[in-house]
Amino acid sequence: MTLIATEARIELRERYALSGILLYVLSAAFIVFSIWKELPPKEWGLTFWVIFLFCSLMAVLKTFGRESEGRYFYFYTLYHPLELFLAKAIYNLGLLFFIFLILWGTLTLMAGNQIIRFSWFLITGGLASLGLAFLLTLITSIAIKTQQSASLTSILALPLMIPLLLNMLRLTAYATGITPDDNPWNEFSMLSGIISLVVGLSLWLFPYLWRS
Amino acid sequence: MILLLYVFIAGWLVPLKPGIIQVTPERAEAGQIVELEVTGYNSNYTKDQGEVRAWLRLAGDTVIQAREVQVMDDRHLTCSFYIPSAFPVRQEAYPLSLILDHTSDGTSVLPNALFITPAKVQDENEAALWFSDKVTSVHEQSGIRFPFRNILSETIRNTYFHVPLWFAMIILFGVSAWYSLQYYRGGQIDLDRKTVALVKVGLLFGVLGLVTGMLWAKNTWNAYWSWDVKQNMSAIALLIYAAMMVMRASLEDDMQKARLTAGYNMFAFALLIPLLFIIPRMTDSLHPGSGGNPAFGGEDLDNTMRMVFYPAVIGFILLGLWISQLVYRTEKLK
Repeated sequence: MTLIATEARIELRERYALSGILLYVLSAAFIVFSIWKELPPKEWGLTFWVIFLFCSLMAVLKTFGRESEGRYFYFYTLYHPLELFLAKAIYNLGLLFFIFLILWGTLTLMAGNQIIRFSWFLITGGLASLGLAFLLTLITSIAIKTQQSASLTSILALPLMIPLLLNMLRLTAYATGITPDDNPWNEFSMLSGIISLVVGLSLWLFPYLWRS
Repeated sequence: MILLLYVFIAGWLVPLKPGIIQVTPERAEAGQIVELEVTGYNSNYTKDQGEVRAWLRLAGDTVIQAREVQVMDDRHLTCSFYIPSAFPVRQEAYPLSLILDHTSDGTSVLPNALFITPAKVQDENEAALWFSDKVTSVHEQSGIRFPFRNILSETIRNTYFHVPLWFAMIILFGVSAWYSLQYYRGGQIDLDRKTVALVKVGLLFGVLGLVTGMLWAKNTWNAYWSWDVKQNMSAIALLIYAAMMVMRASLEDDMQKARLTAGYNMFAFALLIPLLFIIPRMTDSLHPGSGGNPAFGGEDLDNTMRMVFYPAVIGFILLGLWISQLVYRTEKLK
């Protein structure tokens, strides 16, 4: 618990990091929509998630880079690795959900809102944040051990994100009402199945990967 | 090796059963006499000319027999049918299958060979004509032949290469994930070499599986890559494993390399299962086995094909394990 608070405090102290992410979100949205101006629902959802994916990559990338080696050693003696991982992942979850809301707001302002079923889009956003937060936290913790951690995070994480992305797109299609399908539970259970797999595996593997 | 040699020889050389490639015309109106020109494949129509019989089948026992069959040469014959002006069921169009029976070639079928549009004047009495003929005493073709499938034709041989390659890849990745688990439980650094050797060979098999699949797709779906969900997912699966090799290349310390590989490998294999087996089944796909059907239904393999297919599967799996053993040993010698 205190660790989550610490994470947040560090992040807030270095305000440029957070505002950097915000700027990234805004400029990405701006670039995309100055090209298209107006988007039909399907493309709207697609653009939304593509921007979201890259923003989340940017945001989570900093998770492990921030602290020095010495600090990690200190943490390692103080906490169980699981606590550390959970703190980071939950903090990232909050961050991603925040990005999700900001992005949604931005797109609504600039390109109009295409979402009909608000609660379902919120659920999709929450699930996406959860899955991506755990997946990216784990992958960053692997990539940080290498020399070019930034590029390696994207190489390792992007293909792993695709099964999540596909289901997110399908749920978004339901939320925008462009599918004739009236039953989103199938996609929902599929997405939450994959996410629970990701969460379980990352919790299981992180203490082991973190040992060095 | 002997298994594979057998697979290659049998897979390439066993001829296909006779089949029907095409029929002209493809559509006709009911209540008229239709002259069908049939083009055969691997057929010997000139042998026992008088014995060729032909039927058009609507469904089940609803058939009409050809009034006359004339053989032109080994590959071509014409048969004339009288299509009754009334049908026992009412549809907007009637797809008919052509059935040919020959003493030495056996039976061959072309589904949906002819489309019939309803006649303008219908004589309800003629509907009974559909039941006067029966497909009886058909001949079995003897000898070892692979079945002739419409569209597939000769590419049916790819079943012995494309499918076993994927099976072998899954097995290789699975075994490597198992070794990773062993390493995770406190194994030796040696296990890491085994893991990596298996993943390397698995990647090779995956690429080969993708290439054979693309060749097959070119022949049946008319494009090497049609952004089918199955193609996409398998390409992504290969990307995941390729990323793992990139990760290994950028690490210095051997112990760290081994640990991170083991962790990532288990993670990747766990995500591979929904990627390859669950998601493609939930969406529409051109690939057999999608939309809830298993890939191997009763009609896909006949007994002659099984005689080659099962050895092919076993042979490719053993080949994969053997190559990875070699890779592992050369790594160890270094």
